[in-house]
Amino acid sequence: MKLRRPAPAQHSETIIALIDVVLFLLIFFMLIGRMDATAPFEVSPPLATTGSDMPAGGATLAIAADGALALDGQALDRTTLDSRLAALLAEDPDLRLRVNAHKAAELRHVLPLVGAAEAMGFRDVVLVVTPADQP
Amino acid sequence: MASKVTLKRRSRNGPLISLVPMIDVMLILLVFFMVTSTYLNLDMIPAVRQQDQPAATATTPGRTGTAMIRLGADGVPVLRGQPLDAAGLDRALRDLLAGEPLAQVLILPSGGATTQALITVMDVATRAGVQRLRVIRLEARP
Repeated sequence: MKLRRPAPAQHSETIIALIDVVLFLLIFFMLIGRMDATAPFEVSPPLATTGSDMPAGGATLAIAADGALALDGQALDRTTLDSRLAALLAEDPDLRLRVNAHKAAELRHVLPLVGAAEAMGFRDVVLVVTPADQP
Repeated sequence: MASKVTLKRRSRNGPLISLVPMIDVMLILLVFFMVTSTYLNLDMIPAVRQQDQPAATATTPGRTGTAMIRLGADGVPVLRGQPLDAAGLDRALRDLLAGEPLAQVLILPSGGATTQALITVMDVATRAGVQRLRVIRLEARP
């Protein structure tokens, strides 16, 4: 006569530990980042040591090294950009405009846009930079 | 005579709600966030401030000097006709501020200079202690 031990039913405890870890990771990734649409081209902001922390909120205007434009992750041309910015400004007059220009972008592609945004009525325009260590 | 029979439901041993679908959903969310996200550490430098309106240039007490840094297309800053590197510009600005702490510094960049060159000059000026820093640009008039 053979006697078999019943299999220990301890699966649920192992699963609970797994859920804990997964939930912690999920919340970590959700909290640590700010959800922001990325531009459809490569943008590597210039290095700066005197930048300040960037709070959330606002619209992001990305400028590629060759001058290509994207607003909140959507590629567009200059005329469309003006109308989109005007619409955004009409919705929120205090909207912050983040200009995320590639570090190799020539200023003739960047500064006219900053000036146009200022003329349009944007009161808070910031340049996005990558923090660097003190030299 | 038939005896009374009572039937009892067997009590369930497992959890009332299965946890497996929840784990599936959380894992899918986790993998989604990990795969679709890029994590960047970014700072900002104000380009247009609310108080930077033209009226801000109204009455300033006393006499304050102004220095203009021209930024060439090659990214070399030129102060008073003299090309400078970052350390030289830092020294020149500190000397200027030692005499006039509220001196205004204007940066006139060439359209061919890169954004990094402008940010570097702004960085040097800010570290040197310049409080009134403006970037100006020339516009073609029709």
